[in-house]
Amino acid sequence: MSWLTDPAGEFADLTRAEQGVTLFVVAFAIYLLFGLLRGTLDPTYFMFLLGLASMYALLSLGLNSQWGFTGLINFSVAAFFGIGAYGTALMTASSSPIAGGFNPIVGLVVALVVAAVIAVAIGIPTLRLRADYLAIASLGLAEVIRRIVLNEQGLTNGSAGVRGIPSFFEGWPVLATFPQSMPETTIDPVPGGSVTVAEPVFGIGFTVGQEIVLRTPFWRALLNVSLVFVFLGVSYGVLRRVHRSPWGRVLRTIRADEDLARALGKDTYSFKMQSFVLGSLVMALAGVFYAHLNLYVSPGDLDPITTFYVWVAVILGGSGSNRGALFGGFVVVAIREGTRFLNQISLSLDLGATEVVFSFEGLGGPMRLLLIGLIIVVLMRFRPEGLLPPQRELIWPGTVDEVPEGPDVGVREARGGSDE
Amino acid sequence: MRDRHEGANMGKENVVLRVENLEKRFGGLVATDDASFEVERGTITGLIGPNGAGKSTIFNLISGFYEPDGGRVEVNGIDVTGRKPYEVADAGLIRTFQTPRKLEGMTVREAMLVGPREQPGESFVKLFTDPEGVASAESANLAEAQRILEEFEIDHLATQPATDISGGQMKLVELARAMLADPEILLLDEPVAGVNPTLRNDLAEQIRRLNEQGTTFCIIEHDMEFVMKLADPVVVLNQGNVLMEGPPEAVQSDERVIDAYLGGDA
Repeated sequence: MSWLTDPAGEFADLTRAEQGVTLFVVAFAIYLLFGLLRGTLDPTYFMFLLGLASMYALLSLGLNSQWGFTGLINFSVAAFFGIGAYGTALMTASSSPIAGGFNPIVGLVVALVVAAVIAVAIGIPTLRLRADYLAIASLGLAEVIRRIVLNEQGLTNGSAGVRGIPSFFEGWPVLATFPQSMPETTIDPVPGGSVTVAEPVFGIGFTVGQEIVLRTPFWRALLNVSLVFVFLGVSYGVLRRVHRSPWGRVLRTIRADEDLARALGKDTYSFKMQSFVLGSLVMALAGVFYAHLNLYVSPGDLDPITTFYVWVAVILGGSGSNRGALFGGFVVVAIREGTRFLNQISLSLDLGATEVVFSFEGLGGPMRLLLIGLIIVVLMRFRPEGLLPPQRELIWPGTVDEVPEGPDVGVREARGGSDE
Repeated sequence: MRDRHEGANMGKENVVLRVENLEKRFGGLVATDDASFEVERGTITGLIGPNGAGKSTIFNLISGFYEPDGGRVEVNGIDVTGRKPYEVADAGLIRTFQTPRKLEGMTVREAMLVGPREQPGESFVKLFTDPEGVASAESANLAEAQRILEEFEIDHLATQPATDISGGQMKLVELARAMLADPEILLLDEPVAGVNPTLRNDLAEQIRRLNEQGTTFCIIEHDMEFVMKLADPVVVLNQGNVLMEGPPEAVQSDERVIDAYLGGDA
């Protein structure tokens, strides 16, 4: 059976949570598609959103490989993101105070190496100790790195930030000039002009089929999205493979009970270090993408709020679950960007003599934090294991042929046993 | 009184575990004070003593969880004093814990698969350079885990969540998993604490069977009936030091041991 030949059967095999998430994703995709067709969602902006969501998904994957797999509490997500962004920016940008002008590939490699070195440096003193020490040290590290970036003007341009970062494909054959060389393309979803669907009875009339014009910025955004999809695909593939391996099993043992892993002869310090570096590399990868997406980085990009968005994403998705991390990253971006539109919504009620107008003008920012807070509270109360917790046994593929009985009761779920 | 401590028999042949003059202090508290004993290959050696005698501290010192302040630990003739737990495990010594450690989010057989040592799949690099090697090792380990679960007559639990089984079953799983690590000597810390009588007998039977197949055991246990039935010799600890060693009958009738337990002359 597969999704192509028997979608209904596959769907029925999913857990209720998976079904809910699938329906939600499909509905949201349809909604976005609809927005594109109506012309209310600009395709270039849509591509930007997709890139941003994938970037958050990358960060969540990185944190998941530290916290979700191994139980390492890392509060310096934003710092490793910043190291990635600044690493490549300082190597490639025209305004770099140290070594600009290199190919972005060099920037990528340097960013990853620096991230790995810093991860090892912070890991050496803290990973031998109890988990809380890493949490405290990483909190400090995040602030130290932000301050260095802000104050070491000779190294980083300080608060002015680094400008003039080339796009990632600068200097590549074909791809470097791809956005400019693509012709302006006009898409006409409904041939023969626009169609008005439904008369505006309750004020809900709409028109589809306006022409969509794709220009250079769209092609550039498309290229960026392809890049981040490659990053995301590679990271997801690697993490998925190692998560199902004996290596990942040791990490999960450490998360549940480090002493047990030690008693069984595992060098837990080494495993924790590997997991920490791996996660930091994935976070830095997100930073590299960001620098070449935004073409400008500044110390504000290292603000701790990013760290907490990513934590929310991982907890929301279900720690220890890679697809949960992906989903969480997308949801966080949906909330972050979606709340911007709250400003435009106003509701007017005509009560005869008086007219009451509800307006969300200016509420976008506060609503964002409120929504995220609410989600966390509701989640902790009703589904502490997250939306998509790891469901099935993680044994190296191909070595078990029979699926255990009743996989719909996930091992984690069975413990809480609340909604089954 | 210290002068009544005759110590352990230190002249054994074919020793798997040798503990010499082990010392450990926590601030002003002396938890282990010049403790020496030997575990002979093929035996089930019991380690008993009143509360606070330093039994668990000694286990932690031997297995590398604590660093000793003095003395020496040898496993299979290898000096492992002050080594990391994984290095002690590499020398052939595996331990279990007093309270069963539950592996959240794993099935019983997954939890079992943590046991085998030196799995190729535990190397990050080999996952990508040698996936076939990883797969064949995993298959072999899985088959081995299944075989051991069957021997322990708990194979019906294989695909149960590891957090869903009873405390007694957990103890069996722990013992089974420790066997997957293929130890020369297994240190069991109160294997039957909080286990119902039926499972208690099961555990005793399993330990005896494994011992007959060649595994050496060293067991801390509070349940006298259990330890006296199973262990020979029995080493008695008191106040961080070895009080005496002997066959179960001798230990049971020894006045000093009775005194130590009743706190008579402490």
